[in-house]
Amino acid sequence: MDKFSRRNFLGAGLIFGASTLFAKEAAKTVATETKAFVPPMIAFPEKKPMKTISDRPPLLESSRDIFTQAITPNDQFFVRWHMPDIPTYIDLNTFRLEVKGSVANALSLSIDDLKSKFEPVEITSVLQCGGNSRKFFSEKTGQATHGVQWGHGAMGCAVWKGARLKDILNMAGVNATAKYVGVNGLEKPAIDETPHFFREMGIDEALTDELIVAYEMNGQDIPYLNGFPLKLIIPGHFSDSWVKMLSEITVMDEYRKTFFMDVAYTVPDNDCECVISGGDFEYKRKPIAQMKVKSVIGYPAPNSVIKKGSRINVTGVAFDQGKGIKEVMISLDGGKSWSSTNLQKDYGKYAYRQWSFSWEPKIKGEYSIMVRAINRIGNIQPLPGDIGWNAGGYQYNAVDVVNVKIV
Amino acid sequence: MKINILIAGILLSATALFSQVTKPIELPYVEYPIEAGDHDEVVQQYCLTCHSFGYMLNQGKKSRPYWTGTVAKMVNEFKAPIPKEDQQIIINYFVKHYGYESNTGH
Repeated sequence: MDKFSRRNFLGAGLIFGASTLFAKEAAKTVATETKAFVPPMIAFPEKKPMKTISDRPPLLESSRDIFTQAITPNDQFFVRWHMPDIPTYIDLNTFRLEVKGSVANALSLSIDDLKSKFEPVEITSVLQCGGNSRKFFSEKTGQATHGVQWGHGAMGCAVWKGARLKDILNMAGVNATAKYVGVNGLEKPAIDETPHFFREMGIDEALTDELIVAYEMNGQDIPYLNGFPLKLIIPGHFSDSWVKMLSEITVMDEYRKTFFMDVAYTVPDNDCECVISGGDFEYKRKPIAQMKVKSVIGYPAPNSVIKKGSRINVTGVAFDQGKGIKEVMISLDGGKSWSSTNLQKDYGKYAYRQWSFSWEPKIKGEYSIMVRAINRIGNIQPLPGDIGWNAGGYQYNAVDVVNVKIV
Repeated sequence: MKINILIAGILLSATALFSQVTKPIELPYVEYPIEAGDHDEVVQQYCLTCHSFGYMLNQGKKSRPYWTGTVAKMVNEFKAPIPKEDQQIIINYFVKHYGYESNTGH
């Protein structure tokens, strides 16, 4: 099990012209000649109608206008499961979170235990799929990526409340030999041989203050499709390890090789975390972890037609890995000149920072609105033509562009 | 049993909001359009075991190497039990209906 046939992973699909990555000419062959498939808008339990990319497993994408708010409502929060077999009912009388493995005392905790035996803590944090905005890779670089072709709507920001993972682990008493913590939930594959959704982190990371086992989202029970009754929260990190319907925490002395850690959700282990030449899986792998500085436009919508002289409030959200947003700049002339936007209320360093800009277009014509965020340590979003490509389409964070017409 | 669940729910509501899911949820079934012909029944038999057709529609038109790689991933990584000859049928189906012939990868 030590040797993955990584060269064969995704087969020939990955062995395409990565050498053209930094070629600046416009893509001649569009990677996705999309056959105009528009996902239906369907209301799932506890959700408003959302872009339903798949019903099984459920893949529900939020609309762009969700980015006009710093806190994403539960009923419009995106949904992404990996496995088709999800329990359709959780009985809180019998549901237990098992804490086991390399610990002094294995625990079996009810939701009530988690609420009563541990100090409740709250944190406002962005939850973003590693593949969020993936479809823009092919649009901007001309190279296809594997995975669900999300727009920007596989992210949201919520107030999470729960018990610290650290406190739970300390109650169990982690052995001195422990090196890793594995987490998994109740979702299951259709066939036994399929790798289960199992995620791992170093023991040091698991024992930091900020990771919480959440039982509330925006002051309510976590919606069923967002992982009721428990979800692991890892502020600042992509959501791959924010396990839904969290049911098992396994403390381990040794790392366990798994598909979802070692193959999926990995990028080349180099500075740009991208493919410079050759195939993606010729590179040593590294799991995606910390998010990258990013901003998106919530309003106006792409291809809006706006009357000359109208005063419009261009707005959206920005966030990073938890260093804090320093500035969000806006360009109305396709990137030639940039102005500052107004940053709104600060909900904490892991939350969305809403930004806004009052614009009164006086000249008719086509406009490209672009926004670019920079954080407090100087990380800045790349321009669309400069973003490094990876075959999995992870970590897209190039400057967002919305074209509108002033009439 | 139902009554016990209700009572538990009410008791919990003393400290938190009432559990929003007190009975089994029913997920909507979505009938994604599937192009007929070229052994679509083989495609449906294997692919729909684990995921909806929305996964494929969402990819847009893709090259033969892309679809070949995707089927290989399902077999090698996700352990889909698809015999060799059926793998080829599935690849051909996607190239014809949801892709194009190309050796360059995209």
